Amino acid sequence: MLQLAGYFALLSLVSVGGIPSVMSEMQRVVVDVQGWMSAAEYTQLFAIAQAAPGPNVLVTALIGWKVAGFSGGFVALGAFCGPAAALAYWVGGYWDRMRDAAWRKLLQRALVPISVGFIVSGGYVLATPQGLSWQGALIAGASAAALYATKLNPLWILAAGGLLGFLLF
Amino acid sequence: MVEERRWIAPADFAEVLALCQFLPGPNVGNVSIVLGRRWFGPVGSLVAFAGLMALPLVWVFALALLYADFSSNPAVRAVVTGVGIAGGGLFIGTAFKLAKPLARKPWGIALAVGCFGVIALGRVSLFAVLPVAALLGWLAARKGVL
Repeated sequence: MLQLAGYFALLSLVSVGGIPSVMSEMQRVVVDVQGWMSAAEYTQLFAIAQAAPGPNVLVTALIGWKVAGFSGGFVALGAFCGPAAALAYWVGGYWDRMRDAAWRKLLQRALVPISVGFIVSGGYVLATPQGLSWQGALIAGASAAALYATKLNPLWILAAGGLLGFLLF
Repeated sequence: MVEERRWIAPADFAEVLALCQFLPGPNVGNVSIVLGRRWFGPVGSLVAFAGLMALPLVWVFALALLYADFSSNPAVRAVVTGVGIAGGGLFIGTAFKLAKPLARKPWGIALAVGCFGVIALGRVSLFAVLPVAALLGWLAARKGVL
């Protein structure tokens, strides 16, 4: 549990772009390196967090819960939010001065393509729990296209994904 | 907070949101910290954050427990896996929306594709990739090609 907390605390500080940016890295450690769960279980926990109301950061609580029970869930959520929250608290007081600084604007522009690459990575890893499959590619592709091109409520897109999963798997 | 209670002006709220999207960490979580601090200091931050998370946390645990009871059922597992894959698709759709300003910036596209290649396909640690990518992005931004 300490290992999980320490790792999530570090991850907290590199999560530029929020939870979606680090879903791939988290899966690498939780599934590939530590073997705490299978890739399929990781995608299923993520599904539960997406389907439940509330911020998507709650997936960290589910990962902690899977690894070490309820206390693990609280610790994981706290570890992931704590360092970033401390930073936000501290920077909140300086933002007026930082906002127009040239270095900050440069960094913000630099972070756009990086976040894009990281978020697509997260989506790819979540959509391929058993490696690439046409069923997975179909569901993920359709859902990405629906979000990009329509104004559908994402909950409908998730529901359609569930239905397709039922029919195809 | 903006429309119903009028605790904060729209422009001011947009400002706070911009800050929280720039910083690492969950965006809404950070908003609660910054606004909590502004109005009530450190205690305000803690209370705002706890208030934001408490009820959704109960929901998500309840759903997880329910799923644990049914996860041996292949049909239930198929539905939940489908939802997870669709959720991954939502990330991809979001990223493409975010990438719209990069359409005419080949260096930006190259950096995004490069990040995807090493992270998703190469399975390299994000802690190794981020500093290198940030440096490249910074240099590109300074040259005005990003």
